[in-house]
Amino acid sequence: MNQRTTPLQSIDTLGAMALDAPGGQPSVTPPADATVAAIASQFPANWLVIRNGKASDVAAQLPGLNVALTQDVLSIQVPAQLVHDGIVGLLFIDDTENGAGMSHARVVIELQAGSAVNIIEYHSTIGNAMHHAHCAMELSLAAGARCNFIRFQDRQTQHDQTGSLTATLDMDSQLHHTAFDLGGNVVRNELNIKLAGAGAMTCLYGLFMAGGDQHVENHSRVDHLVGPASSEQEYRGIAAGASRCVWRGVAVVHRGADGTNASQANHNLLLSAAAIIDATPQLEIYADDVKASHGTTFGGLDQNALFYLRTRGLDDAAARRLLIGAHAGKIVARSPLPALQARISEIVAQRVATLIAEEAP
Amino acid sequence: MLEINDLHASVGGSEILRGLSLSVRAGEVHAIMGPNGSGKSTLAQLIAGNDAYTVSRGTVELDGEDLLPLSPEERARRGIFLGFQYPVEIPGVNNAYLLKAALNARRKYAGLSEIDAFEFLKLARDKMAMLNMDPKFLNRGVNEGFSGGEKKRNEILQMAILEPRLAVLDETDSGLDIDALRAVANGVNALRDPDRAIILVTHYQRLLDYIEPDHVHVLSEGRIVRSGDKSLALQLEEKGYDWLREAASA
Ligand SMILES: Nc1ncnc2c1ncn2[C@@H]1O[C@H](COP(=O)(O)OP(=O)(O)OP(=O)(O)O)[C@@H](O)[C@H]1O
Ligand SMILES: [Mg+2]
Repeated sequence: MNQRTTPLQSIDTLGAMALDAPGGQPSVTPPADATVAAIASQFPANWLVIRNGKASDVAAQLPGLNVALTQDVLSIQVPAQLVHDGIVGLLFIDDTENGAGMSHARVVIELQAGSAVNIIEYHSTIGNAMHHAHCAMELSLAAGARCNFIRFQDRQTQHDQTGSLTATLDMDSQLHHTAFDLGGNVVRNELNIKLAGAGAMTCLYGLFMAGGDQHVENHSRVDHLVGPASSEQEYRGIAAGASRCVWRGVAVVHRGADGTNASQANHNLLLSAAAIIDATPQLEIYADDVKASHGTTFGGLDQNALFYLRTRGLDDAAARRLLIGAHAGKIVARSPLPALQARISEIVAQRVATLIAEEAP
Repeated sequence: MLEINDLHASVGGSEILRGLSLSVRAGEVHAIMGPNGSGKSTLAQLIAGNDAYTVSRGTVELDGEDLLPLSPEERARRGIFLGFQYPVEIPGVNNAYLLKAALNARRKYAGLSEIDAFEFLKLARDKMAMLNMDPKFLNRGVNEGFSGGEKKRNEILQMAILEPRLAVLDETDSGLDIDALRAVANGVNALRDPDRAIILVTHYQRLLDYIEPDHVHVLSEGRIVRSGDKSLALQLEEKGYDWLREAASA
């Protein structure tokens, strides 16, 4: 029998979280006296705060889950059959002026058989000192477990981040992961997903937006160890200014993983002549019965669409916002937790506006 | 209302319009016919403000105001509407959202308040009923995956909602089935008004059975080579364009 917990916090409350405009453009840099507590107070009270890589209070209210902190490793265990319909929030804040210039966070999340959980990780920084944050996460899904996962990276544009999520999916388990990268200076994210049990399924979606001289990389690799199993990857990029982005999606279908379905797509919008996006889809297939596809597209804004919208009375900036927003919106619409999509759309729209301002003649 | 005088325009180095003049008064419906490549769409796009075309000579005025320096959106807000020969698909931009934004842009320019969501929905549904259009098209992406005929109907829906002063419809009748043609004609006829004018670019006399034009023009090689009343369209249907060329060179 499935146990149920009371929701951690209604999703609507989270939807109202008063986040700053994303992207860390100078105009939205938090005031110098902003404290970790002030940022944290904008999130639901039961979010775990990881300050400069260290989880402070794991006694937060996460009923039903086993949360522990051992030698700086934060571990969260979702017991078998527990369907947790609230949100486990992980708020990573790097207080750059009161730290060592770098931080390392380690998180281990285990979903036991038949359990389900929604996880959001949110990365932000305060202060103006140089900083490099690293976050290593391990996720395991036992048979029949289901996990919705959103990673939101909204650091200021002078701060670096590297991070990895390694996940192993057992029989009939599902991981629905969506990543948003809006800020950061040099950013590199890795996803390593192993489909280790028959019937496992994963969707990896992502949106990266970069301007100025940001450098944002997303590398994902899915290993189909057995079949049947399916993976779908779709990342969309928007690059302005002199930014440089990298997307590399790898799917390896190992010998014997028959009945595999693997798709990869990467669609990119270049808003300036100086912006660069490198995209590498890579499929390696060593099994027989496999359906696989990949597609990569690049382009600037569709000038015909822009003209069409303007003939309907929309001014140039509004038409651009609409077209860029539509490109990004495809990923927002694919993200799990539909109740959050409106709020995510707003944050993304603000970042779109700052990118357009950057390109304004 | 619209005065075009000795218009010369080129694209990619070749001159497409070569001294075109046209005068459209309020209340009138003009049909523009002419062979493929004669410059009909060029004229339509130019009126709407497509800056791919370079004007080297001539003037285009709306109610005495020089249109040429105005952006497409400024022209739209003054009441110019272009129904595209090839309506653009804009995936991910909601049709209803665009209709509402377009209407509000026009209302704002006219000093009116934004239309409220309820009123807008009612307006959109009424117009769609008039055009025999399924309301589900409101929630699709703009022209996204629409059939050719559906796109044309969607252009007319936009026109019906925006109620432009000057509508330029570029082959809106092409690719329509009989029912759609009637629906489109209904939409156009509903717009006919002493204060508005309509320019229909078409290849077929058939449309003109439903929408009776006051004037018919033949555009050839970037110039209007013949103007007449609706009987000119019938003559063209019967004799083709060669007859005009022969007449011109005779
Ligand atoms: N970007 C361009 N570069 C070069 N030539 C162009 C360009 N755009 C249009 N033309 C040419 O201009 C001419 C007029 O084109 P236009 O689309 O106005 O014709 P039309 O009268 O609308 O034809 P149709 O009846 O086929 O729709 C054509 O010969 C076309 O090839
Ligand atoms: Mg044409």
